[in-house]
Amino acid sequence: MCQGVLSLLIMEKIGGGTLVPFLEAEKISKAFDGVQALDNVSISIDAGAIHCFVGENGSGKSTLIKIIGGILRPDTGQMRINGRPFTPGRAIESIRQGIQIIYQDLALFPNLTVAENISLNQLIEKRNKLVSRKKLIQTAKKALAEIEEECDLFEKVENLSMSKRQVVAITRALTQNARLIIMDEPTSAITKAEVDHLFSVITRLKQKGIATLFVSHKLGEIFEIAENVSIIRDGVKVGDYKAEALDDRKLTFLMTGQEIVSKPYLPKGNGPSQSHLLELTNLTRKGHYQNVNLFVNQGDILGITGLIGSGRTELALSLFGLNRPDSGEIILEGKPVSIRSSREAVRLGVGYLPEDRLLQGLAIEKSIGDNILATIVGKVLTRLRLISGEQRKRIESKWIKDLDIKTPSPAMPASSLSGGNQQRVVLAKWLATDLKLFILDGPTIGIDIASKNNIHHIIRDFAHRGVGVIMISDEIPEVLQHCNRVIVMREGRIEAEIEDVQGVSEEYIFDLAAAKKVGQGM
Amino acid sequence: MISKLFQRNETYLFFVIMAFSFFVTVMNPSFLTVENMFDLVKSSSGMAILAIAFFVGLLSRGIDISFPAIAIAGQYIAVNALIAMGVDSLPLAFLISCAVGTAMGAINAFFISSFRMQALIVTLGTSNIFHGALLVFVGTRAINTGKLPHCFKAFGHMNVLTLARPDGTLYGLSVFAVLLLFVIILTWFILNHTLLGKSIYAVGGNYESAKRAGFNIKRTLFFVYGYIGFLSGIMGVMHLSLIRYSNPNYIVDTELLRVIAAVVIGGARITGGSGTLTGTLLGVIMMVILEKNLVLIGLSSYWHQFFIGLVIVLGVSITYYQSKRQNRRNLLFTD
Repeated sequence: MCQGVLSLLIMEKIGGGTLVPFLEAEKISKAFDGVQALDNVSISIDAGAIHCFVGENGSGKSTLIKIIGGILRPDTGQMRINGRPFTPGRAIESIRQGIQIIYQDLALFPNLTVAENISLNQLIEKRNKLVSRKKLIQTAKKALAEIEEECDLFEKVENLSMSKRQVVAITRALTQNARLIIMDEPTSAITKAEVDHLFSVITRLKQKGIATLFVSHKLGEIFEIAENVSIIRDGVKVGDYKAEALDDRKLTFLMTGQEIVSKPYLPKGNGPSQSHLLELTNLTRKGHYQNVNLFVNQGDILGITGLIGSGRTELALSLFGLNRPDSGEIILEGKPVSIRSSREAVRLGVGYLPEDRLLQGLAIEKSIGDNILATIVGKVLTRLRLISGEQRKRIESKWIKDLDIKTPSPAMPASSLSGGNQQRVVLAKWLATDLKLFILDGPTIGIDIASKNNIHHIIRDFAHRGVGVIMISDEIPEVLQHCNRVIVMREGRIEAEIEDVQGVSEEYIFDLAAAKKVGQGM
Repeated sequence: MISKLFQRNETYLFFVIMAFSFFVTVMNPSFLTVENMFDLVKSSSGMAILAIAFFVGLLSRGIDISFPAIAIAGQYIAVNALIAMGVDSLPLAFLISCAVGTAMGAINAFFISSFRMQALIVTLGTSNIFHGALLVFVGTRAINTGKLPHCFKAFGHMNVLTLARPDGTLYGLSVFAVLLLFVIILTWFILNHTLLGKSIYAVGGNYESAKRAGFNIKRTLFFVYGYIGFLSGIMGVMHLSLIRYSNPNYIVDTELLRVIAAVVIGGARITGGSGTLTGTLLGVIMMVILEKNLVLIGLSSYWHQFFIGLVIVLGVSITYYQSKRQNRRNLLFTD
């Protein structure tokens, strides 16, 4: 292929005939306060390669990235670029060698335009004092053309979608002659269609001879994009593999050190005669969803999947009183209800775990204990209407123990926890109430495999205790494995309802969700 | 192009100003005369300069409320120095006032950048320190017209353009307009055509990213607060020349709210990072014609305070309502 020839040419030019990898890091070790974050880890990235770096949260991935990026210095070990020794002391030295790191938050300026965001770094690098608008636009245009992307140069970044913002961040990296772009979990905040788009950008980068180091813990993506996979666990490298040599099970095992087998979910033998816990009849909100009819029984885990814009989140918000439907009925335990606010929803026994737990699910600066107590604070009051310290302590420690939340103290802020532990705090908050219906929107987004497994167990426990669960997810395998019934939504309508999930293939569901959308290039 | 124009706050504000001016002119035809316009420019250029200063602070995500204290300190120190030295030189007065202003701004910048403190809290404290120190160490006595060096009076009377009324008497456009124009062009150039200007937006947009991108944040903040002090120093001398009287107790609290109101109605986000120079200037125009014409609508001047408060609340509400609508579109329910 032409791309192979290209990267070969580049290597030839730089390496003087022999094939030297673009970046080699050898036996890197780094300890923080006596904790060994990296222990003799080596990694080698070829020019123009798509390399995936995999590991659980806290496995040392970010430490290695920061060392490559010149932000941290290794205790021992060495690095080479194109065979020459490379010891960056500051971030700028790595940047000058063509290494660009795109962090999860993208580090863009929301109040500046696309053109400014793309071109500013280059100006700082060149120590320009003046800014020529013409030059800004030229630079941005040229960089965008290089990866065949289009974007309104004069739009402010705050008005762009996540996926477009990513393109801006990648384009910005190109303006500084990037040879290796490191992306830290680039897919955690975007939808499936946007991921596909990102992958096509990465492929185009490869054709330019630019290598990508892709940090992720989403298995599906790893197999879709990566050529080489390096796996790290607890600061030690497990090994380097060709992507073809791995499969889901093997990779999971290598990452976590444990076999994770999940059995499909079956509700406890409730007869079909039982009346429905929740029933929606012809529920409609114009522009969001139309004529939604569905039911949830006690002990059900009903999966709802669909693309973004399919109306799934909008529907969930309506059930939690945040997005009032125009017409149709919500029937809870046989009685028609009108849920006008989230307060009312909680009173009726409806719980909601939002897609964006950082923004909406947690009071992130508050303590873990405060978060757990948030939904039930009315129940732990003394006669003087003050919060009872004793009861508070009891409840906090019960949930921290039951859900295995890893923290030294309930007084620590929720922001101190990893993603998986944060999600467990959100779950504890709802577990503590007498829930009848629990709606979870993307419960395992951005959470690593071992924690994911644990969270699925907690959700199953909910259902087994008779709570009706609605689980909304982008990830079709998640819905198929952990729900007993699945609804596929598309463009605000229910496309299909699957009563028996066993034997249903992922492709079948994906086709249902994406039908007619194909070719529209979302 | 047109539709983009209508997404902007400034466009609406412009039409509101037009409609209001039309209304006022119908009530009082002397409003829309060249002479009245010249008068308005003269009496409000000082406020416009302060509004620009406050706006630059907001862009960097800092609410600097020390500018009235700095303006009066610069003015009072400059006039006292001139009297003490027996010199009658306007450039020297500007030099002293601006130097005092810039130094005070640097003190603000030191606290804000070193400890990453909220500018509002820092300047709430420093404005009292600056003003208190002025009264304790420099004096409390007002300097009236008789004692004032001649150069200030001459500056206050200087016109760049002189026209004749039908009866033969003269009126003109004050030199203040030139000074204001100079500040506008300087600020516009810095914000749009220098890396320093972009770094102000960057710090206001995303502090962490600005750091990672390699901007020198400390330098940016020293510039921002130094510049606010510098502009306040200019305003101090202008104000003195306009009213020919220097009272160290004077502009401290009267200007603050008017300026904030003007900037906020001009569409700058009070939480920082966004807004335009055009919007700020339109906001000043709106405030000025509103204030000057309350009497025309039949309201006494006691209503000024009421309207300033109303404008602040309305201005902030509009900006917040817009961001709430934007959030709703993205299915974020934050209330």
